[in-house]
Amino acid sequence: MSKIKIVAATGCPTGIAHTFMAAEALKIAAEKLGVEIKVETHGQVGVENALTKEDIRQADGVIIAADKDVQADRFVGQPVVEVSVGRGIKDAEALIQQIIDGKAPVYKASKQQNTASAEEQEAISGSSIGRAIYKHLMNGVSHMLPFVVGGGVLIAVSFLFGIYSADPNHESYNQFAAMLKEVGGFGFSLMVPILAAYIAESIAKRPGLVVGFVAGVIANTGGAGFLGGIVGGFLAGYIIVLLSKLFSSLPKTLDGLKAIFLFPVIGIFITGSIRTLIVNPMTAINESMMSFLSSFQDANPILLGLIVGAMSAFDMGGPVNKAAYVTGTALLSEGNFYFMAGVSAACITPPLVTGFAVLFFKKYFNQSERNAGLVNFILGSTHITEGAIPFAAKNPIVVIPILMVGSAVSAILTYLFGVQVPAPHGGFLVLPVVTGAIKWLIAILAGSLVGAFLFGLYKKREASKIQAEDTELKAA
Amino acid sequence: MQEVFALENISINEKIKTQMEAFERIAELAVSNGIANSPQPVIDGLHEREKESTTGFMEGFAIPHTKSADVKKAGVIVLKTDNGIEWNSLDGSPVRFIISLLIPEDEAGTTHLSLLSSLSRMLIHGEVREQLMNAGSSREIFETLNTSLQNQ
Repeated sequence: MSKIKIVAATGCPTGIAHTFMAAEALKIAAEKLGVEIKVETHGQVGVENALTKEDIRQADGVIIAADKDVQADRFVGQPVVEVSVGRGIKDAEALIQQIIDGKAPVYKASKQQNTASAEEQEAISGSSIGRAIYKHLMNGVSHMLPFVVGGGVLIAVSFLFGIYSADPNHESYNQFAAMLKEVGGFGFSLMVPILAAYIAESIAKRPGLVVGFVAGVIANTGGAGFLGGIVGGFLAGYIIVLLSKLFSSLPKTLDGLKAIFLFPVIGIFITGSIRTLIVNPMTAINESMMSFLSSFQDANPILLGLIVGAMSAFDMGGPVNKAAYVTGTALLSEGNFYFMAGVSAACITPPLVTGFAVLFFKKYFNQSERNAGLVNFILGSTHITEGAIPFAAKNPIVVIPILMVGSAVSAILTYLFGVQVPAPHGGFLVLPVVTGAIKWLIAILAGSLVGAFLFGLYKKREASKIQAEDTELKAA
Repeated sequence: MQEVFALENISINEKIKTQMEAFERIAELAVSNGIANSPQPVIDGLHEREKESTTGFMEGFAIPHTKSADVKKAGVIVLKTDNGIEWNSLDGSPVRFIISLLIPEDEAGTTHLSLLSSLSRMLIHGEVREQLMNAGSSREIFETLNTSLQNQ
């Protein structure tokens, strides 16, 4: 059997004498009893001989001899003897004997926490890159979801007062509705920053959070939408990973400085410097898309519907979607009510796709997805496309094309039916002023159901794939 | 190290009877030897520290200490008494050997602090305590302290 290893932390309020006496007493006692010991001292000069994570993990037990806080939560899951610094001096041998005899109680009982985070880290550096990326996305999405629902529903409710009720110059202006729309808008505007921040947090823990937030705000204010936010989040996370590799040679005593100074300052600086990479192309995309689109305004309805539908569902609030939407409103002011009808249909469809999908394929979605899907009936009906983002962000490469198909079907049918919509937003709330309202509803419903079945089938395949993997694992 | 220990700061054959008298004697020596400006802040500081927890540990040793703006330079005052003093020490034994650490408030340089922590460490060793307790003169104590500190 190898030598028993013990780690200890000593500390006293003044940190001048007892801290070090206890440390010395423990060392002498350890030598006498033939065990290995490493003692961290919390003295006036700060923490010396600091215990590393590795030290703690390998230890057979922990002795805390302190009259002050020595960050004992590091020792969760380990057998810990906790006494005053005085007993550390006087009874050092007895304390060590207690560890040797295995009589030390386990400090709180949640060792899972440690193992879980260890697994997380392995997942990041491990071979399963796809799973790691998915995990980061999920972390972002699950934190973003409440903002989408909270903000979106408030905006939707404000529309019930009339779709122009938040405009002080309009006759339907209502102060309460304006307030709802404003606060809902604040919640909404945090959506992309939260997504980016928690993607980065998943990659690089707390230092990532800071830089991810900033990257998200850059993406948001730069009009890069949620896809820009995802890019920004990953960028921010890996910048911190890179920085921590670069800084790993710095002495341990600078750890505090790293966390509160180096990581945020340098991380934000780098992210901000390459913001042009995230944001500048967006403006270009937006402009070229708009000119591209206007050249198609008189094209045949199927081609136009395909383009409008695909664009609207592509980034839901990002530069491509905005291009379609802005073109629609511009044409609206020129008296073209046909074009906007297709844009609206395409914007309403993605949330409804997710709503119908969770309704018909319930068992392939988790509880929070089911709830979010049902809320999306409200968001979709009020032209709040962003409701679908949490679903799309989990696996953009598959889900976005599905939503694009659904939106395209809605838009194509809308153009084929010759529906006219004279309002730029409001969803089904503007039905009374829509020419061909029933046809429009049918078009949107058709597109949404097509999308929902594609989405449901995809989730079903995913589920059976996971099941197959599980059985394989069990068989192996 | 000579900075911290000084022959003039070591006094044996003390006749003090109480902890308070010990503090007063420490302050008196500190002031007359240029470690502190005035006695009262030193006495108060030592007393305050003692209220937090006892500085008396084992086999008659105590290490009262304080950090005060009134302390001009770091210093160690050593008192060896003829009779034991009640100190509420860890092992309950009366104190006969007092090593008092005085540190300036703005002691930024860690040199003194680590010297003092080494001093604390060395008192844990039984043979050092034995030598100190049996020392017959100030010089003997001074040399024991210096040698042990170097061995740390």
